[in-house]
Amino acid sequence: MTDPTTHPTGPPRANARRKLAAPTVAMLPRIADSLSFLYLDIVRIHQDDTGVCAEVTSERHGTETVYLPTAALSCVLLGPGTSITARALATFARHGTTVLVTGSGGVRCYAATLPDSLTTTWLERQTRAWADDTRRLAVAGAMYEKRFGTGTAPAGSTLAQLRGLEGQRVKAHYRLLAQQYKIGRFRRAYDPDSWDTQDPVNLALSSANTCLYGIVHAAILALGCSPALGFVHNGNQQAFVYDIADLYKADLTIPLAFSLHASTNPEAEARRSFRDGLRLFKLLPRIVTDVQILLDPEAQLDIPDPEEQLVDLWDPIAGAIPGGINHGEGP
Amino acid sequence: MASMIVLSATAVPDHLRGALSRWLLEVTPELYIGTVSARVREELWASVTACADDGTAVLAYPSDNEQGFELRTAGTQRRRPADFDGLTLIAFRRESKEDANLV
Repeated sequence: MTDPTTHPTGPPRANARRKLAAPTVAMLPRIADSLSFLYLDIVRIHQDDTGVCAEVTSERHGTETVYLPTAALSCVLLGPGTSITARALATFARHGTTVLVTGSGGVRCYAATLPDSLTTTWLERQTRAWADDTRRLAVAGAMYEKRFGTGTAPAGSTLAQLRGLEGQRVKAHYRLLAQQYKIGRFRRAYDPDSWDTQDPVNLALSSANTCLYGIVHAAILALGCSPALGFVHNGNQQAFVYDIADLYKADLTIPLAFSLHASTNPEAEARRSFRDGLRLFKLLPRIVTDVQILLDPEAQLDIPDPEEQLVDLWDPIAGAIPGGINHGEGP
Repeated sequence: MASMIVLSATAVPDHLRGALSRWLLEVTPELYIGTVSARVREELWASVTACADDGTAVLAYPSDNEQGFELRTAGTQRRRPADFDGLTLIAFRRESKEDANLV
């Protein structure tokens, strides 16, 4: 037998086994291609001999085991009542899956793990654009135009002017929807002290927005960007999350909230409809490409080079140079 | 439009295996692969579920959803597709086979 595929022995086989255990970047789906999210709660997640599995207990089916496609998932949201072992977490990290600890229903993000294997390309682009005031303003302008249409941000306008324009636009949008649903005057309020006395639209909007923040947070982390370095928002660990989430509110959460103006349980209903809407909206790939276009409009967003080095060294003149080589032997 | 299907049958009658191999390739015992139209796929699946007797069968075919495919099962087996907010994963019970069949 000379066919190597029938009897895989020796080094090729050992290599293949290692690759399956610790996959290379080329073997993992790109964030926009992979499955958007998996929400789990009241489960025990552990790593057994072969993979990561969740033990799900339900009244109808008893205790069942579900193997999780770790390498195909871009993020896992762990809701209340979840326990996870260190080995399972390590496998998620190795496969580049972001793990988020969230509140019930995937709203609120309490903590998140960042996969070690993530490339820092996008973090570097983000910090470069953020640290340069001119470029930061340009990104803020681009965000504004993404929301309200090309040509809506007058050239040379300051952030204060953009904020003013944004406020007017959002108010007009509220007014239009209030008219459509015939609910008279609407005023956005999110006072946590008088939470229960708020109208259903405000409650639904707050609840749906929190869901949106959780998903945007996951997408930003999955890209390796920092959620803290915002372009319009500032000084908050989630500033960039708020920036990006604002891009989708007019399409997603605001109309949804107004449609629930007569609901008796607006918060829970908003979460449920939001989840249904997401499936149709394909939000995660959209967030990823939007962030990439905002941070680097000229970037070519195509398939990453499988030969790409995972760790580069930085050189002020040559840019990124390959790591893992002894450069002392050079000229 | 014809699309690829994967059909796995376990412990089904011989006549069904023979019939399936007229449409599909039996690449390994009781695993069939082929490209057929949606109409043919529906007809084949209807015959499989009707003739499976005590056996089980699983059908996978491309679909316009996030995962890119859909699953169908016939008969009782330990593994069942479970829906996680639109994501299909496989749930199964670890206990003995007899236990799983009681459900």
